[in-house]
Amino acid sequence: MKVQVKNLRKEFGKTVAVDNISFEFDSGHVFGFVGPNGAGKTTTMRIISTIEEPSSGDVLLNGISVCEEPELARRAVGYVPDTLPAHGDITVHEYLDFFARAYGLRGKKRTQAVDAIEEFTNVGGIRDKHLKALSKGMKQRVSLGRALVYDPDVLVLDEPAAGLDPRARVELRELLMLLAERKKAILISSHILTELTEICNGVVIIERGKILETGTIEDVLKKSTPRRTVAVKLLASQLHQNTQLLKELLQTPHVQNARDVANEIHFELAGDDVAACDILDSLVAKKFRVIEFRQTKQNLEDIFMNVTKGGVQ
Amino acid sequence: MTATIGKLKSHFVNWRAWEFNPIVIKELRQGVRSWTVTGMLLLFLVVLFLTSLAFLIGQSFEVGENTQLGGSMFSAFVVILAGASVFFIPLYMGVRVAAERQENNPDLLYVSTLSPFRIILGKFLCSSYIALLFFSACMPFMAFTNLLRGVDLPTVFFILAFLFLAVCVANMIAIFLACLPMSKPFKFLFIIYGFFQSFGIIGSLIGSSYMFMRSGVGAMMTGRDFWIGVVTSVSIGAAITGLFFVLAVALISPPSANRALPVRIYLTVIWLLGGLLSFNWVVQTGDAGRMIAWSYPTFFVMMFALLVTVSNADQLSLRVRRTIPQSAIKRIFAFVFYNGAAGGLLWIGGILALTYLASEATQMFFTRTSSGSGEQKNWFITTAAYAFAYALTALFIHRKWLARRPPKIAGLLTVLLAAAWAVVPSIFLFFINKLSWSSVEGLQLGNVFNLFSLRDEENRNLHLLFAAIWFALALVLNFNWFFRQLKIFQPLVRVTAENSPPVLK
Repeated sequence: MKVQVKNLRKEFGKTVAVDNISFEFDSGHVFGFVGPNGAGKTTTMRIISTIEEPSSGDVLLNGISVCEEPELARRAVGYVPDTLPAHGDITVHEYLDFFARAYGLRGKKRTQAVDAIEEFTNVGGIRDKHLKALSKGMKQRVSLGRALVYDPDVLVLDEPAAGLDPRARVELRELLMLLAERKKAILISSHILTELTEICNGVVIIERGKILETGTIEDVLKKSTPRRTVAVKLLASQLHQNTQLLKELLQTPHVQNARDVANEIHFELAGDDVAACDILDSLVAKKFRVIEFRQTKQNLEDIFMNVTKGGVQ
Repeated sequence: MTATIGKLKSHFVNWRAWEFNPIVIKELRQGVRSWTVTGMLLLFLVVLFLTSLAFLIGQSFEVGENTQLGGSMFSAFVVILAGASVFFIPLYMGVRVAAERQENNPDLLYVSTLSPFRIILGKFLCSSYIALLFFSACMPFMAFTNLLRGVDLPTVFFILAFLFLAVCVANMIAIFLACLPMSKPFKFLFIIYGFFQSFGIIGSLIGSSYMFMRSGVGAMMTGRDFWIGVVTSVSIGAAITGLFFVLAVALISPPSANRALPVRIYLTVIWLLGGLLSFNWVVQTGDAGRMIAWSYPTFFVMMFALLVTVSNADQLSLRVRRTIPQSAIKRIFAFVFYNGAAGGLLWIGGILALTYLASEATQMFFTRTSSGSGEQKNWFITTAAYAFAYALTALFIHRKWLARRPPKIAGLLTVLLAAAWAVVPSIFLFFINKLSWSSVEGLQLGNVFNLFSLRDEENRNLHLLFAAIWFALALVLNFNWFFRQLKIFQPLVRVTAENSPPVLK
């Protein structure tokens, strides 16, 4: 399943919520959709899920246009909105059964599909509970179950981890990884960026309706941070040498922006791995008792902070 | 056509695989759990039981002592049943639909692949089922009254069936109102309006029921006129239910869907059937005046349709354009029936003109027993001309000065134009004439409502002339726009994107 977002634009009156964005993603991968509040994430996701219509542009799901054939396209998408399931007065099983019926599953096929989803999302134990009696995490599972009950090829999840406790988040992450293994194309938006880094293959960063960065996580990391940040830590008894180390590093070629960060010296290295080795050798030669010399790891959160300006429409 | 027949055939052949509408199952599951339904049903039964007791206690069971006890009890049950079902069931279903129609709850109406048709059908079937529940609860009490004399069994069952159909119509209207895209305060106002309106409906239902009781349905059933009346009433009820059904479906369909098509087709079919039935009535009675039963409702429905039509957007969505036929003849029909203000105006104009011509033609061949034919002719043409003049002027204003505003503004402007022309000059003249309303009774050209207060034919002709000139002027102002709409009503031509988007893999 290939999802192609083509020159998508959505206007609400004078406000441009989504401004001519284009990207593609394929099955078997999880793609993060990241941006500040009001960036246009939910609008884009609602368009992909055929709930909203674009002002111009289109989304193709294996060539099926969401504008021209929304009924057909809708069959391929499972949408988990940022709101939790309503209808508090029916049980989990009845809720999933209703959606299975709504998607045209009949007889035994429906029973099997609902049972399988209850098992997969681990809601079998609460199948006879009313929706209103469920915790937020459980409701989120039911919502995911509803989106999966008819086995769509594309999953669009809008802030599925919002308000979940750490355990529920880990469980959700595991579910998503399992779904990716089952060759689903998954688009997920979340503000918990550290988690996205762990499960996403690719990312789209959006602000004010425009795409700022797209690509695989590695590509985006590389692109947004051309210089590596290296941390040097001296032996605890040698911490008084930090000032001297700082002076030394500032005179070293390829080193920029050296500073003291919580008893560690951080600097930006413009050179390659050899340059890093040379610096370490020179420090050891100058009798600095180095206990740690490492490259600090950038994550999606750092990229997000670097790339976005926090603007909303 | 062959494919449709094949589909229908396979549908009926595989009847074993038929399943209930998912909405019906869900709603009934919720209804069973809801204290609102069970509580109301229990209360209903308690009231019926207490009423029965109240009637029976103190009554003599001697034969010949009270021959009307059954009839009196039945009358009381009719009032209770009509009250409970006309108030409660439409309100319950309306509130449920309105809650699911909220934007922030995309659960049902937006996420699933259920078509709007099936959603509304499910809601309607469920409301009918709940009505059936109330009626079946009441039926034993009503049938019991037959044993007490004063009412015959055919009357009991006929009145139950009659009330049931009336409740179904009320349910459909409630579902339609709940689907209207309005804010909560407006919906609340509608509920209040509906509440007071229900008194009228209940009153007329009870009145009709009493009439049937007095006459005795058993005695009337042998007469042809009775069955003609029954078929006519049921047909009118079905037509109204069908109209609100297609309107509700159109309301919950996405804006990009061809919402106008089913509504315009339905109205055209009903209009044709109504015309044929009225003509048949004219032939049977020899009175051309009976055509009014068709022409008046057509006129009023088309006036509402005019307001909705001018609120249509000019630009058609991709999914509508995809279905525009290639053939020029088919395309002209599609232009009239598809979304869009221009085609809609043509459709309304055509229906009104044909209605007028058919009514006139009937009068040429049949005599008219009632007087005032000329007056009605003038009234029909003048009002239609004014309505089109307001609508076309509103469209022009919207296009010229408010183009960035949503198209529904044109509909609002149409109402405002009619209202302002009726109110503002009157208020102005009230002060000019030293606080006298005498001007209201005089000629006020441009004010369509003024037409109905005039007795003088010369003044009415002046109105006709004024409306015709305004209409012609408005037509000229919208001429280019109309032909542009006709010209751009073409099948979709696909353009491939020049730049391929970035690929994430």
